[in-house]
Amino acid sequence: MNFDVAPVEAVTREFLAIILAGFGNELLPLTGDNGDEPCPKALLPISNRPMLDYALSWVEQSGIKDVLLICPSTHRPSISHYIHSQSSSASFSSVHIDLQTFDESQELSVGTCSVLKHFSARIQEDFVLLPCDFIPPPSLPLSKLLNKFRTDTTSDGSIVTTFWFEPPRADKGATPDEWGSASLSTPIAWDDLSGTLLYVDTPDDVDHNGEELELRMSLLSRSPRVKLSAKLQDSHVYVCKRAVLDVLQQKHQVDSLREDFFPWLCKIQYQQTKRAKYGHVLGALANSVSHSISMKHSTLHSNNIARVKAISITHPTSNSSPLQQSRELGYSIPPSPADSDDDRTVYTSLRVGVVIHRAESGFAIRANTLPSFLEANRHFLADTPYTLPSDPQKRALIDQKAAISADSTVGDFTRVEERASIKKSVIGKHCTIGKMVKIVGCVLMDHCVVSDGAKLEGCILGKNTIVGSKAELVKCVTQGGYEVRENETFRNEKLDVSDWAADPDGSDEEDEGTGGGESSDE
Amino acid sequence: MAPKSSSSAKEKLIGEEEEVLQAVILADSFNKRFKPLTTHKPRCLLPICNAPLLDWTFESLALAGVQEIFVICRSHADLVKAAIKNSKWSKPNAGLKIVPIVTAKETFSPGDAMRDIYTHGIITSDFVLVTGDLVSNVRIDEVVRQHKERRKTNKDAIMTMVVKESGAMHRTRSRGDSAVFVLDAETSECLHYEAVTGYPPKKYASIPREILAEHPEVEIRNDLIDCSIDVCSVEVPSLFQDNFDYGDLRRDFVHGILTSDLLMKNIYCYIAKEGYAARVKDTRSYDSVSKDILSRWTFPLVPDDNHPGGHSYEHLRGNKYIAKDNSVVLSRTCKIGNNTLIGSKSQIADNAQISASVLGQRCIIGAGSIIRNSYLFEGVVIGANCVIEHSIIGADVQIREGGRVAKGCLIADGVSLGPQARLSPFERLSKRRQEESDGDDEDENDEGGADGEDAEADDGEDGDDEDEGEEEDEDSELEEVEANQDPEALAKLGEGTNAIIWPPPTVDDDEEVDELENPDNQRLMRIGDEALDLVLSDPGSVTSSESESESDSDEYDELYGVSNASSSATSLPLSVPTNLVAQADSAAITEFQNEVTQSLERAFAEDHSVDNAAVELKTLRMASNVPLRRVREAVVAAIVNRIKIVEGGNVPQRKEIATVIDRWGGLIDKIGGVDAVETVEVLQAHCASSDRLPLFGQILAALYQDDIVEEDDIRSWHAMPSSQGEDVKSTSLRDNFKKCWNFDEQESDDESSEEEETKVTAKVEVEEESEEESDSDDSEAEAKEPPAATAAAAAPTGAGPPPSTSGGSKGKAESEGSDEDEEDEDEDEDESEEANEAPAATTSIAKDQGLLPPNTTEGKSKHESEESEDDDEDEDEDDDEEGEEDEEEEDSDEQVGDHKRSNDSGKP
Repeated sequence: MNFDVAPVEAVTREFLAIILAGFGNELLPLTGDNGDEPCPKALLPISNRPMLDYALSWVEQSGIKDVLLICPSTHRPSISHYIHSQSSSASFSSVHIDLQTFDESQELSVGTCSVLKHFSARIQEDFVLLPCDFIPPPSLPLSKLLNKFRTDTTSDGSIVTTFWFEPPRADKGATPDEWGSASLSTPIAWDDLSGTLLYVDTPDDVDHNGEELELRMSLLSRSPRVKLSAKLQDSHVYVCKRAVLDVLQQKHQVDSLREDFFPWLCKIQYQQTKRAKYGHVLGALANSVSHSISMKHSTLHSNNIARVKAISITHPTSNSSPLQQSRELGYSIPPSPADSDDDRTVYTSLRVGVVIHRAESGFAIRANTLPSFLEANRHFLADTPYTLPSDPQKRALIDQKAAISADSTVGDFTRVEERASIKKSVIGKHCTIGKMVKIVGCVLMDHCVVSDGAKLEGCILGKNTIVGSKAELVKCVTQGGYEVRENETFRNEKLDVSDWAADPDGSDEEDEGTGGGESSDE
Repeated sequence: MAPKSSSSAKEKLIGEEEEVLQAVILADSFNKRFKPLTTHKPRCLLPICNAPLLDWTFESLALAGVQEIFVICRSHADLVKAAIKNSKWSKPNAGLKIVPIVTAKETFSPGDAMRDIYTHGIITSDFVLVTGDLVSNVRIDEVVRQHKERRKTNKDAIMTMVVKESGAMHRTRSRGDSAVFVLDAETSECLHYEAVTGYPPKKYASIPREILAEHPEVEIRNDLIDCSIDVCSVEVPSLFQDNFDYGDLRRDFVHGILTSDLLMKNIYCYIAKEGYAARVKDTRSYDSVSKDILSRWTFPLVPDDNHPGGHSYEHLRGNKYIAKDNSVVLSRTCKIGNNTLIGSKSQIADNAQISASVLGQRCIIGAGSIIRNSYLFEGVVIGANCVIEHSIIGADVQIREGGRVAKGCLIADGVSLGPQARLSPFERLSKRRQEESDGDDEDENDEGGADGEDAEADDGEDGDDEDEGEEEDEDSELEEVEANQDPEALAKLGEGTNAIIWPPPTVDDDEEVDELENPDNQRLMRIGDEALDLVLSDPGSVTSSESESESDSDEYDELYGVSNASSSATSLPLSVPTNLVAQADSAAITEFQNEVTQSLERAFAEDHSVDNAAVELKTLRMASNVPLRRVREAVVAAIVNRIKIVEGGNVPQRKEIATVIDRWGGLIDKIGGVDAVETVEVLQAHCASSDRLPLFGQILAALYQDDIVEEDDIRSWHAMPSSQGEDVKSTSLRDNFKKCWNFDEQESDDESSEEEETKVTAKVEVEEESEEESDSDDSEAEAKEPPAATAAAAAPTGAGPPPSTSGGSKGKAESEGSDEDEEDEDEDEDESEEANEAPAATTSIAKDQGLLPPNTTEGKSKHESEESEDDDEDEDEDDDEEGEEDEEEEDSDEQVGDHKRSNDSGKP
């Protein structure tokens, strides 16, 4: 009997938020190990806040209390430290974060599907799946997605609500080609009226037919008026029914949720063969329909009453025996082959809902590539004009003659020497900016040291990066702990520690790196 | 009524003096969907709601302020001309200038007509292009205005198509011929046009990815009715001229322009949110447009106002229209249902029921007759107690008492049916030709009294037409139909009928048929045809009646999906095979196999050449979209089944096999790909599951001889795990697979049995063999041999199997003819040891297989051993390297084998 657990859970919580914090290979070398210390992508700062913060607070605002945070096992210590540290626990006091790890290496990452499958036992209710790198738009609370999900699932048996957004238009030439493309927009087709996602173009489809998009006629006859756009990007935020996991368990060849599973899931709506195969898993059995109709006409009324009953009985006496519960439920809810939580719907469209977020209505981005990471950082600069710290101790670190523009952010305990000029940049905590340094449009993470007379333009410096005096970096990215020597000049490069350029000092840097990492943990 | 609209047109004329709005009407349909109604009359003159279609079109254009109309007519051009001359629009005050243009009869498509327009040079400015079967109240002038506006900024915007927003399953939206439009949501520029054919159902709409590069957000519309109203620029006819292969306006021209990289022209859509526009392009749309007119969607063009035929009707509650002139005689007890139009001078007798139908002028409906959803042209006489459903009845048709006209019938002008006639659904009747002239006379001036102008014109032109060469086609067709009448079917039409029955539409093999005109697709365009048996995955899959019954949307989904699933039967999908798909697959494959069998049977029976048969197979394969392997299976199966099992031993059997394989074996490699290994596999699979199992070895040998299968192929087949039936579930089948795999035993057995019968021959063969043994290439040597020897040659090729499983058979192979040893020396040495260990197994297997009839076993094996010894001797002479070893082994092998066999033979 399955429902001796499930109904109780359903009472206590409606949604479980699952945050996937991966390695962030797209963000290399920023996510490369800083010496022995890993640099989890989830903790990379966006405007001096770890990006995980954005996702967590979005979840918290929606009223979800339980978060399952999944990260690679090597990242566990630092993420765990972050969660339990003062700074975050204060802000997420109402959220219970369950940190789980999976074993994988950065080079050979497991697909998101298998990660989710692995943890399916922990997921007993409908869930919201989020990436750690999504910076949600302020104008769109997560509860809006949840509400659409709630309406759609109860009205016509939708199974998933997805969220697609229009990424900010990247200026041409803002970032060099070497950094990769800013956002990977995917052509999708959706029905605007009902907010139904119908088709997601996948790399496989492109391989299959690079010239044409193939839309099934069955799709077009179900939704005769379809919008097709190549401007939108998947936020990787999915509100799913629990049954979706059961389907996932049955699918073996899928690897990525975004590229394989959800595009496939869209097809169940209109492809009858798939529907026939997976429909019952999702609760769309034909007899369950007649069933629910008969339920509707029964004097006992719908199972809502039954559930309320179950609640009233099981909730106060949480230690009531499972037998009693099941008996109680046994006559009120007839056993159904499907998950008996929420899918007691008359219409089972198995729709995949979609919420489209336009660029006009607020900034949203996935900071999962270098250009978008930089873009995200820059965006928040404009929001909060810089003012000198009021704390005299911190203020003392900033020289009178330093020029810090209003559209910059400087972290706490950062020393800025005289005549340094900082424009449109984010400077982390505990950095040291030397004399006559020019920093334009850069992101410096914590504990960076920029020596006198260095020039930085459009760079992202990882933790503990040391820039020698009079060095010049244009549009470069450095791995944590990288050391740029005096008078060196780089353009459009990704500098990682193992790079041949850093060879001679590699060992030193590593030492320093570990040292820096430890200090950051303190 | 008429003056109203014409006066408005006149105002336009005064208002916009500067530029005259021209329109071109393509008055020919270029297809035969209304046959036989159109044998003596062009489609555009068929009445809809008692006015010729062409008049509706004129009215629609006049409403839009068109001042000059060119009517392009081809078939029955004189009729069209006469109709134009007689119509009210030709009157001096009509404000319309109508110019009929007769094109050559070689004009076979709208494209040809457009090229004709170009050569005539009649177009001077932007013009409206419509077809002669249009019913519309859309403000075309607004479309023209927008078009001209756009032209000011974009010279490449050459055309604006008027489309009407509806739903995917609107009744006026053709199920058989619709389209998916890809539009820019803001400018409604048409970016891609994807024609959709109802049957076979289209599976995918393919949208070029490059569209998204320029237009990142587009709309895909599958809910638009193409009204066939186009506002074209002057260069459109010239584009047709340049691209002489453009036939259809949409499927060729629009698609071509949009996909062309060179032309760089833009086509826009005008999405009419209000108004009505539809074409009568088939009998089904005839039905739906009639209903739309009756339910006043076409207002102000409705029967009681602005009736293009100039009739006046009284509009009664429930959209009933009765002619106003009080000439209609309605019996007190007759019932007139909703959406019905009754022409003047009609008489409806007691207890007759008429609903959702249109009756022309002077129709007489007998007592107790029931007419539902049908269209009766003028002068139709229906006897008592008839039932007519969902049919179109031509002018002056007479149906006598008790007649039953089932749904979907088309009865051409002047047919008369005897009493108690029974028409099966979708029957098409026309008048017998020889009686035609008599009929006209006998008709007692029914026609003469008909509404004057039109009927007169008809009569007059009819005669003319027959003189014209153009009508010869029609006549010959008619003649053919007449010649092929089935008397039994005719008998059902009652006594004294003058009708002939048109055969149901079929695809002529020689004729290349447009997919639109595919009979199954045409069914979707037939009046009354719900086509429930057709499996469609396109919008048409749910017909109106279905959707009515399936009120629950979920049910609809289910239903929808079922059709979708089975639709995959027609073109096998590449998607993940699910159970349903697999079922559908197998269904399609069985169907395909049946077809192949039939085709091959024909080929066998009529003794086609291999090439011709191959061509037929290829087309079949294209049509069913099955993998090559299936074709191979089917072909091999057919050929194997072609081989008769000959009683009386191996020689005749072998001969039989050789004849068949010689004659037809080549076909196996001509089906579109050569894969000999697969051929052997397939052959094995087929033999294993049929009664031709014992023939496997011989057939293989014959194939080998004909060079269809090479030695290497047999070897690699033998090495495959699947060839031992490992993945076969059923045990009996697996045994059969094994038997095939160990076919060399069969060979040896066959061989020996043959030896018994024709010892001498065998000897001779052996001698030959030994002579040729000097030739190192066995296969070549063997190939020259008669079948008997080939079998032996094929046998040793099986020497490749892994020792563990084939020890027994190996022993046999060697003992029989060990020429193989040369080649597979190493292997054989190993194996022959194995063989020594398990010689008994061989015979027991052979025994088990029942391949050796018990009573002959002893003799056979004796002979066999003799033969093998001979072989060995020969061989030893030839190559010393073989050494004594082999011989010894073999000898011992045989001895044990003999021994065992004699033991076995003792058993019953």
